[in-house]
Amino acid sequence: MTPRQKQLVGFVAFAAFVVVVALLPAFISAFRAQQFAFVGIYLIALLGLNILTGYTGQISLGHGAFMAVGGYTTALLMVGNEQFGQTGALAIEGGMKDVWTIPIAGLVAGLVGLAFGFPALRLSGLYLALATFAVAVATPSAAKRFQEFTGGGSGINLFGVPELTAGLTPVEIFGRELAFNDWLYYLCWTVALVLFAGAWLILRGRTGRAFRAVRDSETAAVSSGVSLARYKILAFGISAAYAGVAGSLYTIAITFVNPDTFPIALSIFLLVGVVVGGLGQLGGLVFGAIFIHFMQIEWAQQMDAVVPDFLPIIGDIDTDTPGAPALAFGAVLILLMFFLPNGVGGIFRRAGQALTSWRYSRGA
Amino acid sequence: MRRLPAVVAPIIACAAALILLPTGLAGSSADPGITATTIVLGGTSPLTGPAAAYASVARGAKAYLDSVNARGGVARRTFEYKIVDDAYNPAQTVQATRQLVESDNVFAVFNSLGTEHNQAIRDYLNQAKVPHLFVATGATTFGRDAARYPWTIGFQPSYQAEGLVYGRYLGQTRRGARIAVLYQNDDYGRDLLAGLKRGIARSTARVVAEETYDVTAPDVQSQIAQLKASRANVLAIFGTPKFAIQSYVFANRLNWRPLIVNNSVSGASNIMLLASEGGKNKAVNGSITLNFLKDPTDPRWRRDAGMRQYRSIMSRYAKGANVRDVYHVYGMAVAYETVSLFRRLGANPTRAGLMARARSITSAGNPFLLPGVTVKTGRRDGFPIQQGQLQRWRGGKWVPFGGLWSSNRL
Repeated sequence: MTPRQKQLVGFVAFAAFVVVVALLPAFISAFRAQQFAFVGIYLIALLGLNILTGYTGQISLGHGAFMAVGGYTTALLMVGNEQFGQTGALAIEGGMKDVWTIPIAGLVAGLVGLAFGFPALRLSGLYLALATFAVAVATPSAAKRFQEFTGGGSGINLFGVPELTAGLTPVEIFGRELAFNDWLYYLCWTVALVLFAGAWLILRGRTGRAFRAVRDSETAAVSSGVSLARYKILAFGISAAYAGVAGSLYTIAITFVNPDTFPIALSIFLLVGVVVGGLGQLGGLVFGAIFIHFMQIEWAQQMDAVVPDFLPIIGDIDTDTPGAPALAFGAVLILLMFFLPNGVGGIFRRAGQALTSWRYSRGA
Repeated sequence: MRRLPAVVAPIIACAAALILLPTGLAGSSADPGITATTIVLGGTSPLTGPAAAYASVARGAKAYLDSVNARGGVARRTFEYKIVDDAYNPAQTVQATRQLVESDNVFAVFNSLGTEHNQAIRDYLNQAKVPHLFVATGATTFGRDAARYPWTIGFQPSYQAEGLVYGRYLGQTRRGARIAVLYQNDDYGRDLLAGLKRGIARSTARVVAEETYDVTAPDVQSQIAQLKASRANVLAIFGTPKFAIQSYVFANRLNWRPLIVNNSVSGASNIMLLASEGGKNKAVNGSITLNFLKDPTDPRWRRDAGMRQYRSIMSRYAKGANVRDVYHVYGMAVAYETVSLFRRLGANPTRAGLMARARSITSAGNPFLLPGVTVKTGRRDGFPIQQGQLQRWRGGKWVPFGGLWSSNRL
């Protein structure tokens, strides 16, 4: 296949995907729709992380922190911080409708990401991973420390506030009624698909090529005139903005935010999701999102039913045992890395390559 | 294509049940989670994560419910108790609870653990009119705000009530006590501190120093050093087990021997034994705590009928679990009261009926609570248990002293 044909296949696949996303809620239960809404949220975060790690080669173990920034921004813009006794210059009024807070949350998180990009210039590889991990570790404590803004450990409750578009009563949109689960689903996936297209546009253009150059060889990039500083900082900014949007949607979805809703484990799960989805490609990220969402909650609970009993150690594990879901998660992850080191995206790439070589090996 | 959202069905069912209630409950219940043969309960528990020690609460409750099922259940229905892991993360609690309500169609959410975790799901459950029964946290808001959240009720003595008892005790027995307080930086720690301050209000005891820590803190060494520097003669530890143990260890290392008041969450015997570092740490001696459960390691209960029942249920329905863990006893105590509620509900349980009974409990003789402790709720009393007994750590075990304290009479 020529590159143009490959691109066409990509378009068709994306269009088919959009159709599937649009029609899925009609075929699944309301609760499942809500679960897939979370898959959409993770997809946005994974897109951002992939831009940074997969395309620009900068490791980040701290994207949970950027999600937290987005989440808290949304919560504060919706309800304000007067309830925590903050008055005067630092008081935030609240009262903004939830959907309008999403781009602002992305912007704020993006600015934080840009700010983080500057010190990150001096670090690379393992040291950058440690620095970002430190940010992830510090974020819950910072949220508790600045109680006047964040409500401390109790967090900010958004359930039932008028700024939330949907509660347990249905929402009116374009004359049709949508239940909370469906509303959440369509909100998250609309944003996800738009941002997916946006990421694709960024990555196929000059910026994307610069990102790849920075990833592949910094020396070569510099000698070709690609400014390392500018593109690394930009990558941090964009990926943080994506994570901020994801965090904002996450907070709207669970109608609650507190320091423990964006724990350290989340940052690690995001990196796992990107690796499973495929670093450096966009196609497999949906599978990464599905993996980290369902593995955490559902599949780990049903591991008992899936793993045959005759296997030596794993077969004996009762899912009620504390630690069993984590064990299942780890085992599946190891298996995936063994058989799919390039993630699901790697399968797509191999399929594409196989088709190309088939095309060019036919005939003389 | 229009589908009725899953959540609307239970709401309509509840409304229908409420309309039928005054005319007597003819026919079968319209609430989800009830069939002719089962009652489905669900709850979240930190099976994994930083608070996995509290998973015993759910495990003990499940063991008790299994034993009741083995004897035929209640009104010919057996209990199905779904425990979902939330890894002590409120975001997971929200998702897991929605799964229980919307996908598993539970009759009631029962025995979910964690202060912020229950706060995160309280609005949702109350709006959906799903019973939020016997939450496993002592945060005062769950009993105090019953008017605003009629579907939510707690179980254990509130943390403020516990702090109040400590304050009264210190005020009465230690003239001019100078109290240093280490408290966790969340509602749990702050509730205990507020109660303590109220308790000493009309006495000569004073809080001379307060230090706080976050759950994510690695240790509390600097806080203990600061508290020692205040030259207090009483140390109040209002923190979870890990930090309580550290407080004992660091106080000992600094050669500081105040009277230590330890809160009930960290007062279990196995935690005190760890803190005593195999007997080398003498700072544990003389510690005071408030207790309302029968501790499985207390030799007082060796021949007690209730604890014999506890041990036999544990050996049959919770094989491999640590019988010495008092959180299992808590789980059984709360399951016992729940089964009593369902017995009072009779053949046609409804969610509204369950909450009505939960707000009018008068129950004594719970085999897992200390003798004399009653479980009582009423229209203006949203706290089922308000009593406890003080005990002193001596010779490697808790020795009770004095009678029962009732926090509502202080």
